[in-house]
Amino acid sequence: MGKFFRGLLISPGCIKLILNHCKRPLKQRKSPSSVRVSCSAAALRENVISFNHLHLLSVRTVISTQYPVVDHEFDAVVVGAGGAGLRAAFGLSEAGFNTACVTKLFPTRSHTVAAQGGINAALGNMEEDDWRWHFYDTVKGSDWLGDQDAIHYMTEQAPAAVVELENFGMPFSRTDDGKIYQRAFGGQSLKYGKGGQAHRCCCVADRTGHSLLHTLYGRSLRYDTSYFVEYFALDLLMENGECKGVIALCMEDGSIHRFRAQNTVIATGGYGRTYFSCTSAHTSTGDGNAMVTRAGLPCQDLEFVQFHPTGIYGAGCLITEGCRGEGGILINSEGERFMERYAPNAKDLASRDVVSRSMTIEIREGRGVGPEKDHVYLQLHHLPPQQLATRLPGISETAMIFAGVDVTKEPIPVLPTVHYNMGGVPTNYKGQVITYTEGADKVVPGLYACGEAACASVHGANRLGANSLLDLVVFGRACALTIAEEHKPGEKLSPLQPSAGEASVANLDKLRFANGSMRTSEIRLNMQKTMQTHAAVFRTGSVLKEGCDKMDDIYQTMDDLKTFDRGIVWNTDLVETLELQNLMLNAVQTINSAEQRKESRGAHAREDFKDRIDEYDYSKSLTGQEKKPFEQHWRKHTMSYVDPKTGKVTLEYRPVIDSSLDEQDCAPVPPAIRSY
Amino acid sequence: MALLRGCATAGRLLLTGRLSVLTVSAGQNKIPASFLVGSTRASSKAVKDAEPLRKAKTPQGRFDKPEEEKSSDVLQKFPDNVNPITKERGGPRGPEPTRYGDWERKGRCVDF
Repeated sequence: MGKFFRGLLISPGCIKLILNHCKRPLKQRKSPSSVRVSCSAAALRENVISFNHLHLLSVRTVISTQYPVVDHEFDAVVVGAGGAGLRAAFGLSEAGFNTACVTKLFPTRSHTVAAQGGINAALGNMEEDDWRWHFYDTVKGSDWLGDQDAIHYMTEQAPAAVVELENFGMPFSRTDDGKIYQRAFGGQSLKYGKGGQAHRCCCVADRTGHSLLHTLYGRSLRYDTSYFVEYFALDLLMENGECKGVIALCMEDGSIHRFRAQNTVIATGGYGRTYFSCTSAHTSTGDGNAMVTRAGLPCQDLEFVQFHPTGIYGAGCLITEGCRGEGGILINSEGERFMERYAPNAKDLASRDVVSRSMTIEIREGRGVGPEKDHVYLQLHHLPPQQLATRLPGISETAMIFAGVDVTKEPIPVLPTVHYNMGGVPTNYKGQVITYTEGADKVVPGLYACGEAACASVHGANRLGANSLLDLVVFGRACALTIAEEHKPGEKLSPLQPSAGEASVANLDKLRFANGSMRTSEIRLNMQKTMQTHAAVFRTGSVLKEGCDKMDDIYQTMDDLKTFDRGIVWNTDLVETLELQNLMLNAVQTINSAEQRKESRGAHAREDFKDRIDEYDYSKSLTGQEKKPFEQHWRKHTMSYVDPKTGKVTLEYRPVIDSSLDEQDCAPVPPAIRSY
Repeated sequence: MALLRGCATAGRLLLTGRLSVLTVSAGQNKIPASFLVGSTRASSKAVKDAEPLRKAKTPQGRFDKPEEEKSSDVLQKFPDNVNPITKERGGPRGPEPTRYGDWERKGRCVDF
């Protein structure tokens, strides 16, 4: 196949130009699959920045007379261009597949760029290390909800993945002999928890995520992946339970694009924006989870959301625990150091979940500060300023920029903040999306997922620090390898109905001309406040039930939406409303799953059920204990389905995979009580 | 564009072995002879005395200031980018980010 141009963006107006120029070739074509763009190259060069393999089958006017639809055919489509998406995209291009990467943001603007921590790998540069010890730490950290085969895969591939990144040019920090410098971080230990602290975390100065994303982007330009930047993916094209591609809206000119592909990879990131206070970007709206939900497939473990106690009110940046370690205290509206009541010994140095819960209880009982009484204060001005400046350099700058306070005079407003979503689209260790029917995992043909959007599940009920960047690269690569193993480049695509994607365009049209009474921003704020009050750290039966009912009401108000921009070119009102639809689907699943799960495990901590409920009671000896049946214990994954029209959530459960990929090589870890 | 055309023409003419090429092509393509034989300034009569160009009186930009001014960043760079305590090269600036159990930078927690 001839490659005319190397690929990136399509400029506005070029679609019309291409259509005009291609009127001739369309009449001459013999079969749909062999259309070539044989337009005048010079004319195209004037108006087109560059594109690759734009196959125009026809200008479809079947779906809607107002929405020109452009069809594309590729071997693989990747939705999302963060760490996982880029790794999958160029892994596929490297293997020879004709790949498209559809993203609503420019690749280097994805939220991966904000990850400043490190990446864990058992390289053994600082002391003798073994990936099996990393495996044990991750299984324990997940509170035995992680699938041990996926964790085995990730930790075994970790050293190779980090070395591969380093070979791509990622400038890790080094020791004197030139090996990658590793530091202690993220609950890592040696010898299955008995050998002391392990040093496994590799980093690039203060900007590991930024560097990772730029390295992967730069590497991906070597291959001929076609990037479709600022294309908002609306829905998956599903037929007979098989995924045949994606339909997307080009934000730049409002045209609809259908990307037909044998393989679709979802790498759209998390959904922090369902909560009022989160560290994620405004673009973290769980689009992948919502697309999968609308396709009738389940999402897994959405109730497990990782919180941090002290996030700055409004901005969402987290204040380090070191502030409290150096003597900072949390105070409520009465000026009282309330942690003394909740943790008399540890006080402000109690563990994160205790602090988060205490803060939330104070706010619920009406002792919050601010005009809405919805946060508390972190006081540092009683400490000597020189001590603050030497022990915590940069904190006055941070407080001034993000909170607008002078940290030596005023307290910082803080509240518990969402940082990571452990749940997502369920996959097996190879990255293939699965459903659980008739007692077994069943692969959905043509659909894959990786990154924060997927739930493989390596993080289980709680994510360890520096494991998520590892998750991105390992499973991004795994998706590409699985696709390369099972398919060949240039395979003939199965036929797709001409009206595929009609419902998505109808929904788009409905939102574009919505004329109810509530604005998108109002509904979104209602949802965020409800989730923050009812589905945050403090979870108990009555609070969650109340939250479920409120969320149901808010879901119904979506029919009463009002949008203002009726245009189609760069309509951000429309895109934000589409994102709100996606957020709502994620939010209802999160709160309903949390309400049903009657135990405390990892990040899901309930006041009324404070213990983990496993099939055996692991705090005592197992002899003489009877194994509880599947319905009576909670060491299982939640699989949640939503009916998009009514917002009703259905929950099913799937067992945790307790066997590793190779029992001889890496013995699985039997469940035990988690204590650090 | 003009230069390229001139060179191309010159190239073609050179191949045929004519050495007095440049003046011929200059006339044909309407390029001033001065442009092809060297810098315009040398042949034009305006700046013959090679007086240094005085800097125009435009406002000073950020990069016009001399380099010696240190950045006002709170976290200073290590000498040679090597952390003196841990001997890490190319690592994070300032105190050890993981000293409080989470990854801290400028008072912000970025990972935990």
